[in-house]
Amino acid sequence: MTNQMTHQSELERHYECVSFYNREAELLDEKELEHWLELLTEDIRYDMPLRVTRDRGSDRSEFSEEGFNYREDRSTLEARVERFQSEFAWSEDPPTRTRHFVTNVRVADVDGDELSVKNNLLLFMAQGEEADGTTVSAERHDVLRRVDGELKLAERDIRLDHTVLPMKNISVFF
Amino acid sequence: MATEEDSCPHGDVDRSAAMTDDVTTSSRVERILDTHREALQDGQLPMTVYNDEEIFETELHRIFGQCWMFIGHETEVPEPGDYAKRYIGKDPFIFIRGEDGQIRVLFDSCTHHGSQLCKAEQGNSSHFRCPYHGWTFKNTGDLAGIPLRDQAFEGLDPDEWGLHEAPRVENYKGLVFASIADEGPSLEEYLGDFKWYLDVHLDIAKGGMEVIGEPHRWRADSDWKSGSDNFSADSYHTGVAHRSVFEVGFGDEDISGTAGQETQRHVTHADSGSTSLRLLDPEEEIFFGYPEEYITDENLSDEQYEVAAACGAATGTIFPNLSFIHLAATNDPDKPLDGFFSLRQWQPVAPGEMEAWSWVLVPAEASEEYKQRAYDVALGTFSPSGNFEQDDFAVWDGIAEAAGTVFADKQDVQMNYQMGMPGIGKAEIDEDWDGPGTAWDDNLEEGTCRTFHGNWQKAMNGEEVGMRYPRDHI
Ligand code: FES
Ligand SMILES: [Fe+2]
Repeated sequence: MTNQMTHQSELERHYECVSFYNREAELLDEKELEHWLELLTEDIRYDMPLRVTRDRGSDRSEFSEEGFNYREDRSTLEARVERFQSEFAWSEDPPTRTRHFVTNVRVADVDGDELSVKNNLLLFMAQGEEADGTTVSAERHDVLRRVDGELKLAERDIRLDHTVLPMKNISVFF
Repeated sequence: MATEEDSCPHGDVDRSAAMTDDVTTSSRVERILDTHREALQDGQLPMTVYNDEEIFETELHRIFGQCWMFIGHETEVPEPGDYAKRYIGKDPFIFIRGEDGQIRVLFDSCTHHGSQLCKAEQGNSSHFRCPYHGWTFKNTGDLAGIPLRDQAFEGLDPDEWGLHEAPRVENYKGLVFASIADEGPSLEEYLGDFKWYLDVHLDIAKGGMEVIGEPHRWRADSDWKSGSDNFSADSYHTGVAHRSVFEVGFGDEDISGTAGQETQRHVTHADSGSTSLRLLDPEEEIFFGYPEEYITDENLSDEQYEVAAACGAATGTIFPNLSFIHLAATNDPDKPLDGFFSLRQWQPVAPGEMEAWSWVLVPAEASEEYKQRAYDVALGTFSPSGNFEQDDFAVWDGIAEAAGTVFADKQDVQMNYQMGMPGIGKAEIDEDWDGPGTAWDDNLEEGTCRTFHGNWQKAMNGEEVGMRYPRDHI
């Protein structure tokens, strides 16, 4: 069982990951947030560190170790989802129309039941009459874990290509 | 950026118009300022000021070019060479600790032909080397190197060509402010009575407060004044705008929820600022949600200490655009409420458009575990993804849009800021209050917002900031 992943062919693994991301994007874009939560492991780590422009020669990562836009666990994500379902959650009234474009899926590592997967995200958002919408670009460093035969998201590190956010709030998941 | 031409849609600049040292205003701006003065006396506010090209340009000069502006916290630049890129209004500066240990606010522009020197948002450097012709400046601002100096610049005195810097820089309990005006009141004079309230927040914890992480930065189609106005404080909105967070349990209704409970206070006309204090019974010793072991009474008066002991939530604004929130809340309804402090700055980008900056601060001597917990609470409540703050920015939507309309201009549309004025509402002055400024026995009043807008009016008219009641009876 533990080695099931290692025995998969590269093609099978890639296909399974892409299928996972397609399903996840659909749930997020359809606002099926309760069902999206079902794709997460109980011990999910869901982070979006701040990005900070550093000196070109700096040996420090641009991704902050101390500053975050998201640093969530299952309980805080569930609470956020619960809030979005309130009719008084003004940031999602009207709901942000999102489109998650997930590309460049790369399985970087296989470790027992876990896959380390990098992928690119282009997230388009438009709310109300907004004509142009907002586009946010990021790389996601994920850990997908096989739980009872299904892939689930165990870790996500959302690595933005922005240091100054181009939107008034973060009221969607990446 | 407005050009000469489009900053004056109503015809040529009237040469007889008012003039201060640094900027001439058109007769149209004068008319708006006159309307503003009269309207505010009656608790009204001309909507136009929230989105107007000429008003914005005047603000950049008369407010951001004159007042004491928050630059950063000294704990952001603890070591020699540490720096962070900061803005005064829209002007770029480098907030830096030099090799001599001194903090400076250097203009981010080479003294040769003006190129930008600082590319990083934060870092540590002994020097800045200009990419254009290679002049090199020390982290003290001194000009240290000129390529081909003997041939090209023989005779030039490098001491005269160090980086330009903000002429006045002062530190109040770790908060570094600068003013780009040569003259004006000292920082302490400027803060005035509001120091008493600021001290409650900065001195309640052992060892003071320190910044964790880099500031959040995000853009919104709201005027910078919407942030200042809301935090100045608008206690009336919490029950409506933040209703969902109380439903889910990110905050406690008694501590930070519905306005109008008996112990809550608004303090207005405290010179540079105003504040909302959500007070409980001091016996509860809530101290903004901090564990008691981090609290000290050493640096506060008994009266200030009593406020902190009773306070579970406070917001305030120091004119023009530095606000704060000190709050007991949680990012997880299954976890207890814990305290954090956040400084936020509403930076002008364009008329009706701002960039919000937010810093998370925690008691400097708290355990690492508590600091991380406090950061999580701040992130989950007041940050771009904060469960409270998401909705603040959402409900400000449309204000700038409406303010920029032809209709608002033509019809001289006024917004209502009358709550708590004579005959409107029930708030009365609390004569027994120990602190400075004017305290109200109820937070269902908008003298807090009127304090901010009164200071705006003073600054826009070239007068010194500082609201006092009843002198400034608005
Ligand atoms: S502009 Fe900097 S060296 Fe010339
Ligand atoms: Fe709010």
